[in-house]
Amino acid sequence: MAVKKDLSIEYMGVKCENPFFLSSSPVGGNYDMVAKAFETGWGGVFFKTIGIFVADECSPRFDQNDKAGLPWIGFKNMEQISDKPTEKNFEFLYKLKKDYPDKVVVSSVMGSCEEEWVQLGIMSEQAGADLIECNFSCPQMTSHAMGSDVGTNLELVEQYSRAISRVTKLPVIAKMTPNITIMEPAAIAAIKGGAKGISAINTVKSITSMDYENMTGMPVVNGVSSISGYSGTAVKPIGMRFIANLASCPDLAGVHLSGIGGIESWNDCLDYMLVGARNIQVTTAVMQYGYEIVKDMINGMAHFMDEKGIDDISKLVGMALPNLVPAEELNRDFKVIPKIDNKKCVGCGRCYVSCYDAAHQAIDWDDKKRRPSINDECVGCHLCLNVCPVKDCILPGEIKWKEGRKPVDIKVKQDYV
Amino acid sequence: MSKVDKRKYTDEADYGYNLRTAREEAMRCLLCIDAPCSKGCPAGTDPGSFIRSIRFNNVKGAAETIRKNNILGGSCARICPYDRLCEEECSRCGIDKPIQIGRLQRFAVEQEKALKMKTLEAPKKKKPFKVACVGAGPASLACAAKLAQAGYQVTIYEEKDKAGGVLTYGITPSRLPEHVVAFDVKTVKDLGVKFVFNTKVGKDVDLNELGFDAVFIGAGLWGTTLPNIPGIDKKGVWTAIDFLKEGRTKKENFYPGDNVIVIGGGDVAVDCAVTAKLLGSKNVHIVYRRTIEEAPANMTEFQYALSLGIGMTTNMAPAEVLGDKKIDGMAFNGRDGVSGLKLKADAVVFAIGQKPEDMTAIAGVKVTEKGRVKATASGKTNLAKVFAAGDVVNGGKTAVEAVKEGKDAADSIIAYLAKKEGVK
Repeated sequence: MAVKKDLSIEYMGVKCENPFFLSSSPVGGNYDMVAKAFETGWGGVFFKTIGIFVADECSPRFDQNDKAGLPWIGFKNMEQISDKPTEKNFEFLYKLKKDYPDKVVVSSVMGSCEEEWVQLGIMSEQAGADLIECNFSCPQMTSHAMGSDVGTNLELVEQYSRAISRVTKLPVIAKMTPNITIMEPAAIAAIKGGAKGISAINTVKSITSMDYENMTGMPVVNGVSSISGYSGTAVKPIGMRFIANLASCPDLAGVHLSGIGGIESWNDCLDYMLVGARNIQVTTAVMQYGYEIVKDMINGMAHFMDEKGIDDISKLVGMALPNLVPAEELNRDFKVIPKIDNKKCVGCGRCYVSCYDAAHQAIDWDDKKRRPSINDECVGCHLCLNVCPVKDCILPGEIKWKEGRKPVDIKVKQDYV
Repeated sequence: MSKVDKRKYTDEADYGYNLRTAREEAMRCLLCIDAPCSKGCPAGTDPGSFIRSIRFNNVKGAAETIRKNNILGGSCARICPYDRLCEEECSRCGIDKPIQIGRLQRFAVEQEKALKMKTLEAPKKKKPFKVACVGAGPASLACAAKLAQAGYQVTIYEEKDKAGGVLTYGITPSRLPEHVVAFDVKTVKDLGVKFVFNTKVGKDVDLNELGFDAVFIGAGLWGTTLPNIPGIDKKGVWTAIDFLKEGRTKKENFYPGDNVIVIGGGDVAVDCAVTAKLLGSKNVHIVYRRTIEEAPANMTEFQYALSLGIGMTTNMAPAEVLGDKKIDGMAFNGRDGVSGLKLKADAVVFAIGQKPEDMTAIAGVKVTEKGRVKATASGKTNLAKVFAAGDVVNGGKTAVEAVKEGKDAADSIIAYLAKKEGVK
């Protein structure tokens, strides 16, 4: 029987039918788009950022980069906030909330000064939005008074968070930029100013690839290009790290986190939730595949919860955090020697090459039999396991204790996809 | 009902890659430490290297590797029996299916052409030796290219009016388009190799009078074979070579007839059947005297024939050509001594192997009882200055093997001439 699970979750005091939201971006820029997304199953939308400033966009404005023919490992965009008139955008929000009262509509806003933030806060509430997200993080604004230049300035983050929080009863979320070394101070500043939640990450400043025709980066706009935000699969590990840091920060205890960055499948959503995200935002995967991807997020997550016997999705939030420890707390007394299954081995020698050229010369290669074998030099780094192209050919094997270290019971992962 | 492929005679049988799809396929490559695919190529085309180059976005490097190692890289990419050579050796077979090496090779060579690359070079200063190559097929082209790159002055004599041998006259254009062969041949020409067409050595010219320092015989197998059965001299009976040549020359203006029977089990038989089908013959049937398992043709070729709606019957040997002056049918005897078969036919094509023409007329070399030139693995004959390789020696193998043998013979010729140079 098809699995059915209640994926509803309370986020910032608002009941959401599921935690899967569109992030403020081109994928949620008008009424029709968002209506279609809602019909497809998205739980809510962070509407394309609204400002008093109306963006004037360049063409083209996107690029994607590949690895060995696999496209879209990452995506770069040069779009700013909404290019529609401010009032028009709030009309969209109003109509969406009216027509889809059970969906969550978040008003994403960006001002260039305190007055604008105040104005946008008031208008958001008047439009009937459920929540407000302050965009402190767009890295490609044409004005330094907005975007990530604000997000990296703690005083401004706090000042603008305070300004907008004062004029609305709606809970305010601050969206962070990853273009900093640590995110906690900016998040704390936002909370101090009155924000109740944090979203992370906005895009990473980037140059994806070069154009040799014009000797500039991509995309080429009249022969030149600019540094701008990078998103998609490649940034997911970076986004997760920031969410885990925020979730583990004592000064941010209880603050609801929304995870963004490289999410396209149910397990990407799950990964973010396990490290502390209570809400999930997606853009790049929608730009590549459309709204339909939410169906497998909903169904896949339901199957996972079914397998694990979990009925309340909020139980997943932060579940893995206790198991993420500082490097100095890892047990370094043992090594897990990989074992190679010669029957599964196809004889490509990739493990040998990688071990020799990049690790510890711990694999011997029989060039007649075309088979590897692990020698005494092995330190248990598992580079071989990671390069082996055959499923389950190289797996963790014998545990060896370093000299003079006391053996204890340890857990070894066995199941590799 | 099965969906049958319908295409024109000159339509290409298979699709190629573009940069994106080529890189996707190259991504599947395991980049084996010992590249078993490369060991599986008789001509040493080195797929392990050129796939790696494509994988790491170096298409020009890939094209260079191919052309450097296999002067007929474009043609081989289309007609090689990969499933028995490089792709059979591919380690990826242990996971799912081999890398599509032929198709990647085709892509790289297409890029070589599109990017107007000049991969090979002959030294400006020529060595004071002239070499004649007899025949412009794969063995001769490979031999000539290698000699030209080593600085020798090479002239190829060809009886027909175009270069390529079986590549030009013996394979359907759907499998090997003319422009592909022409591009391979051009790379040989660009090395300064001279071509003399419409000239049969031993008949139109006498090599002894032309003063060559060495001679290479790569004349192929152009002697036709017909079985000694009743009715064999009736109108409508074809040898495979003549039939394919007729198709290649007249193209859509050649209509073989409504009912065509092809007798044989090799790639040539399949090519004849495909030719007839693509030229519009309604019923085309391959009849082979042994089983499919024993047939020398590639399974992929049989599958291609089947996809075009060509039928196949095995274990039937031709017994008699039926009809008055012109053929109207064929009778077969079963291998089991019991079965028999009679088929209506407007044309019958015998693709049962070719034999060499009289090679002794060329240079007085020793031949075997089958008329093949007697030569060592490195191409040496009984005469010090005469070398031979390819089908005329091995009795008919693949183009890629002819390339290998032509290259090896070139090495022998270079060694022979180097000694003479020392003396001079």
